[in-house]
Amino acid sequence: MLEFALNPAVEEGAAPSSTAPGEVLLHITDLVKQYPNQDRRALDGVSLQFHAGEVTAILGANGSGKTTLLRCAMRLTEPTSGGVQLLGRDLTALQGEELRQARLPAAMIFQTSNLVRRRSALANAATGRLGRHSGLRWSLGSVDRDDLVAGAHALDKVDALPLAHQRADTLSGGQAQRVAIARALCQDPRVLLADEPVASLDPEAADEVMSLLRRLATEEGLAVACVLHQPEMARWHAHRVIGMRGGAILFDEPASTFDLTDLDRLYRGGRT
Amino acid sequence: MSATDLPLVGGKAPVLRRPWDAPRIGRWIGGLIITAIVLGQAYHFVGVDPGEMIGGFAGIFNILRQGMPPDLTVLGDGLQEALVSIDIAILGTVAATLVSVPLAICAAENVTPAHWAYVISRGIIGVTRAIPDIVFALLFVAAVGLGPFPGCLGLGVHSVGILGRLYAEAIEDMDMGPVQALRSAGASPVQIASQAVIPGVIPTLIGVTLYRLDTNVRSTLALGFVGGGGLGFLIFESLELFMFRQLATYLIIMLVMVMMVEVLAVYLRRWIR
Repeated sequence: MLEFALNPAVEEGAAPSSTAPGEVLLHITDLVKQYPNQDRRALDGVSLQFHAGEVTAILGANGSGKTTLLRCAMRLTEPTSGGVQLLGRDLTALQGEELRQARLPAAMIFQTSNLVRRRSALANAATGRLGRHSGLRWSLGSVDRDDLVAGAHALDKVDALPLAHQRADTLSGGQAQRVAIARALCQDPRVLLADEPVASLDPEAADEVMSLLRRLATEEGLAVACVLHQPEMARWHAHRVIGMRGGAILFDEPASTFDLTDLDRLYRGGRT
Repeated sequence: MSATDLPLVGGKAPVLRRPWDAPRIGRWIGGLIITAIVLGQAYHFVGVDPGEMIGGFAGIFNILRQGMPPDLTVLGDGLQEALVSIDIAILGTVAATLVSVPLAICAAENVTPAHWAYVISRGIIGVTRAIPDIVFALLFVAAVGLGPFPGCLGLGVHSVGILGRLYAEAIEDMDMGPVQALRSAGASPVQIASQAVIPGVIPTLIGVTLYRLDTNVRSTLALGFVGGGGLGFLIFESLELFMFRQLATYLIIMLVMVMMVEVLAVYLRRWIR
C-alpha cells in the first residue's frame, strides 16, 4: 500500500499545490461524537474548515472517525457536542423543517451510488431537487418538467447525458456513481461531502469520478470533502489532505507535501 | 504435531471440540423425546382411528359415484357464481392493498415516520391477521346480512393484516441506500416513501398481492359455506341437499377456476420481473 510514493511517475504527477484561498463554506468546531456503550469517542474534538474550490481528501484507517465526521457534519448522525456552520448557519441549533432546509446547500455522495434501481438515470438525478419541493406531484412519486431539465443539465455536467433514459440497474459502477453525483448537483449545493465515493469502483472508473469531483471544485467553486481509502488518489486529485486517527486530526496539509512519513503515522501507528 | 504445540489462547490451552460432542448429542436426544411427547398427545386427543379413515374414503368415493354423470343443467349457474367468487376475491384484495400500502410504510421499522405510527399500524396488522377471514365474514354476515358483500368485507379486512405484514417485511428488507441519499438531499418522509421506498419494492409488492389474490380466490369458497355467496355457497347447498350430481359440476368448475387463477398469477409474476 505504501509503495506508490517510491514510484517516480507518481511523484512527478503529484497534485498541484496552488490552493485557491476560497471562502469558508463549512466550518466545524470542536465536534465530539460519543456512541453509547463505547468508551472511546468516535470524534474527539474535531475542528475543520472546508473552502470553496478545494478538494479535501480525508484519510484514515477503519474506525478512525472519517465517516462519522461527515455524518455528524450533516447531522445524519447526532453529534454529542460541537458546532457545524454551513454557509454561516449553525446546523446544530436547528430542528425538523428548519434543519432540512438549512442543510440543502450540502449534498452527499456515498460509497455505492444509492440510486433507485428501477428508475431511469434522469429520474434519479431529478430527485436531487426533492428538498425544494413540497407539492403533491412529488409526493405521488412524479417529477416536474423543470426538474427534468435541471436533471438533464446535471447529467451533462458529469458526461452522462446519453445515459438519461437507461434504467439505473443497467448502469456500470462508474456510470452509476456519476449519475449519483448528478443527483447531488441537482440539489444545487455549495458543499459536496463524499463518503468513499470510489471504494467500489475499478481503478479507471475511480480515476474518472475523482477527476470529476476535482473539476466540480475548480470550475463550479464547490467545497468537496472526500473520505478516501487510497492515498494515491488523495495525492493525485485532492488539493489538501487530512489524516484522521482515533477520532482526531493527525495532520492537515497541502497534497503536495503529503508523503510517506504521513502515511506511516496514519496506518502504522507512527512506529519508526 | 500434537495439541500441546498450539499457542495458548487467553492464557489457556485451546479446547478442541469434536462437531458431535456429548452435550450436543444430549441436546438432540432431549429434542427427540420432546417431539415424541408432542406427537403422542396429539394422536391421542385427535382420536385418530385408521379404520374410520378407510371408511371415510369409501364414503367420499360413494358420493363421487352418485355424482356421476355431473348434472350439466346447473353449469350456467355454477359459472355465474364462480365469477362472483372471483369478483369477491378481486375487490377484497384491491381494497386491502389500498389500505395496506400506507399501513406497511408506517409498520416498517426502517422507514416509519414516527414511533406512535409504528405501534398503531403494527397493532392493526396484528389484530386483522390473527382473526381468520371466515370469522370476519361471519361477523359481517351477522351485521350486513347474507350475500357476496359481507364475504368480500371479511376477506378484505383479513387481507389487510396479511398484506400489511408481508409488505412491511419487503420494505424492511429493501436497500436503504436510496432512502439515505434522498433523506440527505432534504426529502420529506412522504417524498421518500413515494420516490424511493415504493419504486424500490414494487416488484415484491405486486408479487405478494398476486399470491394473495390467488389464495383469496380459494378462501371465497369457504366464505360461501358461512353465507358469503359465490360458488362456495352452491357447493355447500348441494352437499346439504344431497344433490351430488350438481355438486360434481360445481367441484369441476371450482377445480378449473382455481387452477386457472393459479396459472395466471404465476404468469403475471414472471412477466413483471
